[in-house]
Amino acid sequence: MAERRTLSRRTLIGAGIFGAVGIGAATAVGVGVANRGGGAGSAALQLSWLHSVQFGGSYIALDRGYWSEAGLDVSLLQGGPNAPVEPPVVSGQALVGVSAVDFAAAAVAEGATFKIIGAAMQNNPTVIASLPDNPVNEPGDLLGKRIGMALANVPALETLCTLNNIDVNEIEIVPTQYTAQPLTSGEVDCLLCWETDLPVAMEVQGVESVTMLMADFGFTLQSQTYIATEESLRDRRDEVVAMMAGEVRGWEEYRRDTDAAAALSVEMFPDAGLDLETQRLQAARQVPLMFSELTDEIGFGFWNDDVIASNIETLALLGQTVTPDLWDTSILEEVHGS
Amino acid sequence: MSAGATARIRRPITAARRDAAIGTVGVVIALVVWELAARALEGGFALAAPTAVVASIVDNAGLLGRALAATGTTALLGFVIGNGAAVALGALAAAWPRSERTITGLALIVVCLPLVATAPLLRVLLGQGDGPSIALAALSVYYTTLIPLLVGLRAVPSTWLDLVQVAGRGPLTALVTVRARASLPYLAAGLQIAAPAAFLGAMVGEFTGAERGLGVLTIRAARDLDVDLTWALATIAAVISMAAYGLIGIIARRLAGGEPPTILAAPRLGSGRGRLRATLVGAGSAVIAAIVLWWGGIVAFDITPFVARTPIDVIGIVTGTRDGGETRDALLGALAETAVFVVPGYLAGLLAGLALAILVVLVPGTTGAVMPIAIALRSVPIVTTVPLIVLLLGRGPVGAIAITAVMVFFPTLVACLHGLRRAPGQVLDVMKVYATPAWRVLLQARIPAMLPAFFAAARMGVPAAVLAVTAAEWLATGTGIGALMALSASLSDYDVLAGAVVIVTVISAVGYALVGAIETRVLARYAPEQSG
Repeated sequence: MAERRTLSRRTLIGAGIFGAVGIGAATAVGVGVANRGGGAGSAALQLSWLHSVQFGGSYIALDRGYWSEAGLDVSLLQGGPNAPVEPPVVSGQALVGVSAVDFAAAAVAEGATFKIIGAAMQNNPTVIASLPDNPVNEPGDLLGKRIGMALANVPALETLCTLNNIDVNEIEIVPTQYTAQPLTSGEVDCLLCWETDLPVAMEVQGVESVTMLMADFGFTLQSQTYIATEESLRDRRDEVVAMMAGEVRGWEEYRRDTDAAAALSVEMFPDAGLDLETQRLQAARQVPLMFSELTDEIGFGFWNDDVIASNIETLALLGQTVTPDLWDTSILEEVHGS
Repeated sequence: MSAGATARIRRPITAARRDAAIGTVGVVIALVVWELAARALEGGFALAAPTAVVASIVDNAGLLGRALAATGTTALLGFVIGNGAAVALGALAAAWPRSERTITGLALIVVCLPLVATAPLLRVLLGQGDGPSIALAALSVYYTTLIPLLVGLRAVPSTWLDLVQVAGRGPLTALVTVRARASLPYLAAGLQIAAPAAFLGAMVGEFTGAERGLGVLTIRAARDLDVDLTWALATIAAVISMAAYGLIGIIARRLAGGEPPTILAAPRLGSGRGRLRATLVGAGSAVIAAIVLWWGGIVAFDITPFVARTPIDVIGIVTGTRDGGETRDALLGALAETAVFVVPGYLAGLLAGLALAILVVLVPGTTGAVMPIAIALRSVPIVTTVPLIVLLLGRGPVGAIAITAVMVFFPTLVACLHGLRRAPGQVLDVMKVYATPAWRVLLQARIPAMLPAFFAAARMGVPAAVLAVTAAEWLATGTGIGALMALSASLSDYDVLAGAVVIVTVISAVGYALVGAIETRVLARYAPEQSG
């Protein structure tokens, strides 16, 4: 009895060691293969956050075959709280990435060869959200208040204050992240967040809130911008054009029926835990941020020189020096046929 | 041995039943307190009542089931890979003792890597899919398995090894026939701690862009202010971790035949100076191995220079030749903020673990009530507990300290319990004959027997505390080195990221060595026979 047990243990341990070595080797091989990327005619779009109707236009493009019609097999790569967009685009794992002007500018300052080839959000979605009985309707209302925000966004708040002649030291900054709970529990008076995010969550939970769009007070910064490397723009130009053409069609379709876009998001990603009502509200709320008289005139994702000038101004206040070279209009010109 | 064996036979019949009864009562009381607290805090969106949690689980059964399957699979793969690696490294160290210090040194360096910074790098390295989650789960477990395993591989009466030698066999035979068997209870202890850790690691790995899983849903639920779902997710994670912990315990008892046996291992030979030299050589070779792997990895995987920083780059960052010391100063400033949380949290966690272990041993039957709560605390993901801890203790230092303490406390408790029960049976029998009071038995027999296990936990607690505090800073407070690492990843500041990884790793490793030095001194004085 004892002898047999020893034997089985010995076998077990031996098997364990060989198993570990084997799995290690398999993982290493798998890594190597994964890094090679896809073949011709296939390209990845790196999203900036978890799946939601925030990327509804892209889902429509995929679902209705706008990309496959053009011979491009697109995969959508999800982002997350600890998933930066820039590295996969630099390394070529993703052909195009959804970033923001300030992040793209920072990456360029660190040596990436990005160009901004389109801007899904013409205006910055950042708001100050507060409760109706203690509202923040204009920057002056911030004085003496406690604001909950990620410390990463402090430069944005400072810029808003500079633009509106307010002393940022009179605002108490409380570091919070990812949830509106500090506002609902009374820990802070207001939150710095996205118009389409925490205020929607509060509305669905029956908590009414007031939002002040920072873009209405001079904080001009494009968001959800499309980035690609100079090498991709040179060597894989047709694919980049096809990718952006699909995006434009998808988002125009999105605008026609945001409820359908919300339903599609919920249907396409059953494991993402999306709530249909939340998605509908979010889908409707982001339309004014994406479409304007300007985009009606020159097309989705596009801009003019004035927009670029104000973006550069805001970036300068944020401590980032950029030139109009960061933006490349040639892809959208090809897409819109101008 | 015979006294211990009789005790073991007697124990399950009465004690197990008593433990179960007390455990049931404890769980019921905890549930009632939980329900009342949730009702009292209603409207704050911080805590959901057990009834609401059950309702949410039922409502979202399909979604939660699929997420659990996804996270469970990655956690299990990580558990197997991480523990497999630990066993392989342990066996290598035992078969080739000269390599032991290099192996433990390298293993320590890897476990000290701050995951807030390494997680996005793993995504860059492993691409899409479950790679980062599996890797983080594996990284969360291998170290807490390797260290007890190495102790176990040594915990062999020297006469047995003499016997192998007399038979003309080498270290390999000794490993397979003697050491492997002796190490099984220690391996089991490591695997038990590993189960909740693997689950937590897999969930945090999902933050790097996984498509599905409990971690993904946790972020979603927190953002949607869906408190019921948030706590449903936490409950599932905790229950699964407890079940895995219990199951491994049962398997281990079957396979290994009970608690680790009592062995008075011979003290290690060698003078103080010789030992110091061996340590330095081991540490040096481990650092060299780490640098070879680091640099070799950049070359082998052809990692883009946009992200990759070589050891030379980091030397430039630290000495200030690269940017005039700007990055270094930012890092040191952030580290000073972090130190305020991590040191008290670490010490509080150690003390709490030790105190609870003593309580459990002194007051028989408390195991049933204490252990489930302790495991639950350890396995509930930080993202979920943070709002509650913050609500109870404020967003200031106390909250972050508490989060750190919780992460350190559980491994300490488990290790101390194992240690306290390792007091030699003969000694306890003698004390029993003389009717020695329980506190003296504790002070004179059990605590000295426990010291090595306590110090092992204290050493492993250093990287665990750093991990906890950086995660808390990243997810809740937004201050210190944890927030700086997350921010620099999104700003593509890979100089800061690389500098942070190296500095945090070095500090963790030095902290570990410091605890080790204290351990050597204390053991030499109070438990010389165990300072192996």
